[in-house]
Amino acid sequence: MIEGLLQTLTPSVMLWLTVGVMIGMVVGTLPGLTATMGTALLVPFTFALPTDAGIAMLGGLYVCAMFSDAIPAVLVNTPGTPAAMATAFDGHPMVHQGRGQEAIVAACFASAFGTLFGAGCYLLLAWPMITIALKFGPAEFFWLGIFALTIIGSLASGSILKGLAGGAIGLLISSIGISHGNEISRFTYGIPELRGGISLVAGLIGIFAVPQVLSMVADLRKSDYIADYKSKRGVTLQTVKNVLSNPIHGIRSAVIGSFIGILPGAGSPIAALVSYNEAVRWSKDKSKFGKGDLRGVTASEIANNAAAPAAMIPLVTLGVPGSSPAAVIAGALMLRGLNPGPELFQSDGTLVYTFGWSLLVAGIVTFILGSLFAPLLVWIIRIPLRLLAPLIMLLAVIGAYAIRNNIFDVYLMLGLGVFVFLVRRLGFHPGPIGLGLILGPIIEPSLVQALYIADATSIGHVFFTGTINIILIVLTILSIALVLWARWKDHVRERASTRLEDRTEVVGEPE
Amino acid sequence: MKKHPIFWARAVLGAFVGAVFAVAAGGANAEYPDKPITFIVPYSPGGGSDQQARRLQPGLEKALGVEVRIIYKTGGGGAVGFSELWRSEPDGYTISNVVVPNIVITSKGEGIGFKPAEFSYIGMTARAVGALMVPKNSPYKSLAQFVAAAKANPGKLTVAGVGSTGAENFAELADILGIKTAYVPVSGGVGKMIPMLLGNHVDAGMTASSHAVKHKANIDTLVIAGPEASAALPGVPYESGWTYTTTWGVMAPPGTPADRVAILNKALNEATADPKVKELVTNNGLLQMRQTPAEAKAYVEVAVKKFSK
Repeated sequence: MIEGLLQTLTPSVMLWLTVGVMIGMVVGTLPGLTATMGTALLVPFTFALPTDAGIAMLGGLYVCAMFSDAIPAVLVNTPGTPAAMATAFDGHPMVHQGRGQEAIVAACFASAFGTLFGAGCYLLLAWPMITIALKFGPAEFFWLGIFALTIIGSLASGSILKGLAGGAIGLLISSIGISHGNEISRFTYGIPELRGGISLVAGLIGIFAVPQVLSMVADLRKSDYIADYKSKRGVTLQTVKNVLSNPIHGIRSAVIGSFIGILPGAGSPIAALVSYNEAVRWSKDKSKFGKGDLRGVTASEIANNAAAPAAMIPLVTLGVPGSSPAAVIAGALMLRGLNPGPELFQSDGTLVYTFGWSLLVAGIVTFILGSLFAPLLVWIIRIPLRLLAPLIMLLAVIGAYAIRNNIFDVYLMLGLGVFVFLVRRLGFHPGPIGLGLILGPIIEPSLVQALYIADATSIGHVFFTGTINIILIVLTILSIALVLWARWKDHVRERASTRLEDRTEVVGEPE
Repeated sequence: MKKHPIFWARAVLGAFVGAVFAVAAGGANAEYPDKPITFIVPYSPGGGSDQQARRLQPGLEKALGVEVRIIYKTGGGGAVGFSELWRSEPDGYTISNVVVPNIVITSKGEGIGFKPAEFSYIGMTARAVGALMVPKNSPYKSLAQFVAAAKANPGKLTVAGVGSTGAENFAELADILGIKTAYVPVSGGVGKMIPMLLGNHVDAGMTASSHAVKHKANIDTLVIAGPEASAALPGVPYESGWTYTTTWGVMAPPGTPADRVAILNKALNEATADPKVKELVTNNGLLQMRQTPAEAKAYVEVAVKKFSK
């Protein structure tokens, strides 16, 4: 392990790792350019480098993209990759409060912290963690997905019914295309492009970026800029202190992120969403979430970054990539004639540890570069809306096209965007729709597989036995009960206060 | 120092005349290929098809003397990428990866615009026979034990495979062995199946033997398809009646001129002849192939016939 650290600190590895981080900064910031795409595009260039430097560069890109996707999420409410969706919930409202720089620095520090934690797991706990991860079968994934759906309770600040409807719309959209497992065409209406399903990235761009642009245009008469911003000194230090002042929150988010990251197929977006949900659940003061709570940003960013190194754990222990970028890195290793998996751990242990240390160092490099650039990046919101709106639109179109090189995805993105813009006026939040879109591809195949397995035994046995199933079911029920209880309490309080107001005509906000 | 205007006039004129000559010369013996070639990969980065494309890319570029650009057009079990190639200009500047029999089975879906038999096939480059696998800690140490257990408890054993392609291929083996099991379709590739197998969520898994080779530290192979044993999986029995094979190749849009297909075929075979490529192919548990375009076409036609039922 020490050899791995020494190898990481050689100039060649450090140099290419930093280059990877810088490319990751660009890749993550541009919606549509995901970490998967970025690493895939970079693979051919890594062949000119020694193996350790090559995969350190890919790892650096991945880690940094998991931070920089927060930049557009915070500044223009458009997640750079699906993993930053939850970052936008609180990050963007912070911009409206003039706290854009704080949000970016917090995201950056949280990302670095998450990366260090995830890389620590990779270096120290890879084998015990993978043993637990293997206990997740189709039924467990199904319940995990259902549990993640309960986040709608935290998201839908207004009507819970509209939140649920939004989630259902998202799930329904995710079911377009060839069904998982038995490959039946659904909602394709004979259009060949729809067989491929709705691209998650294009869908999220449509849900978040397009309504944002349309609102900008609609608000043009009211204001020239997204929000006011003045750069402040000392924000970095103060924000880092703020984040560190809540260690339990940080560690909880990191543990959730690392553990969900290790589950093959779940990945950073789910990690960030579950972590956000838990942050809301465990905090005493829930009222600020969704309105610019720093904890919302850090919960999401710590988790999605912790998930990145953790997604490499199944790769090095089992030879199974834990996420799409990990699959690309696996491919890069195989093209060098190396077989990622337990054999590589034995035959080339130094390389495996060097990679772990590289991911850890990439977290630090990301923080240094990110906090240096944060004040500059925030100037994006000083771009007048009449320039910014077309610019975001241009990036949205390029992003939706780039993900699968398919013009049809652009039309879908625009259509979804207009749809969400309209339903937003009716009080729907885009969050639950995006949530459904992300969770559909997890919930549906695992449900189908678990049902097929149940053919051999019984539904009760597959879905309702096993420690992890029981834990997830209990958590889900508790989660729903808590939301209902909180709603009921609010309701009672509201009634009491309106009655009070009626009687005494006391002017003022309740609370 | 300032240069005289005449100097600039001459320089510009010279450049212009030069360019005209260059263009004329190029037009006179316009040899294919003279611009970059697009190589479509219809599956996600990191998968078997991506691996193939990346393996061949340097050799193709060297043999053809132009850049080969890999782009991913994914979705619909390859249908999106295959449809894209179907609609592309048949000028030899767009080619795609092809997987047999997956392209044939995908094409059976409704609303599919392409016909697998009509593409211009350049050649198949590698193949892997099917394998039935169990985790190392499985109670079934041999095919005989597995079959005995399946016969004692019909429909109680679970076997995972990838999608409907896996279902059809496993049905063939189940028929030969005379067993009935529950089939669990995995979507999104073999990567999702291995953890299910290692976590004992299913009793067995069935996919290309290249994965059995890759995961042999954790996974035992009970039987492979085809008429012969595999050097990469010594001691594993084979079932000659089981014809499940996955083949990776390269194809061009229907109607691509034969001379261009021939140039591409020559380049492809040069790329696969590289000892480095050969070594990678063997290490990944694949069997190398070398075909003429006619052989490749016939190869796909056999698969079309087999799965047309």
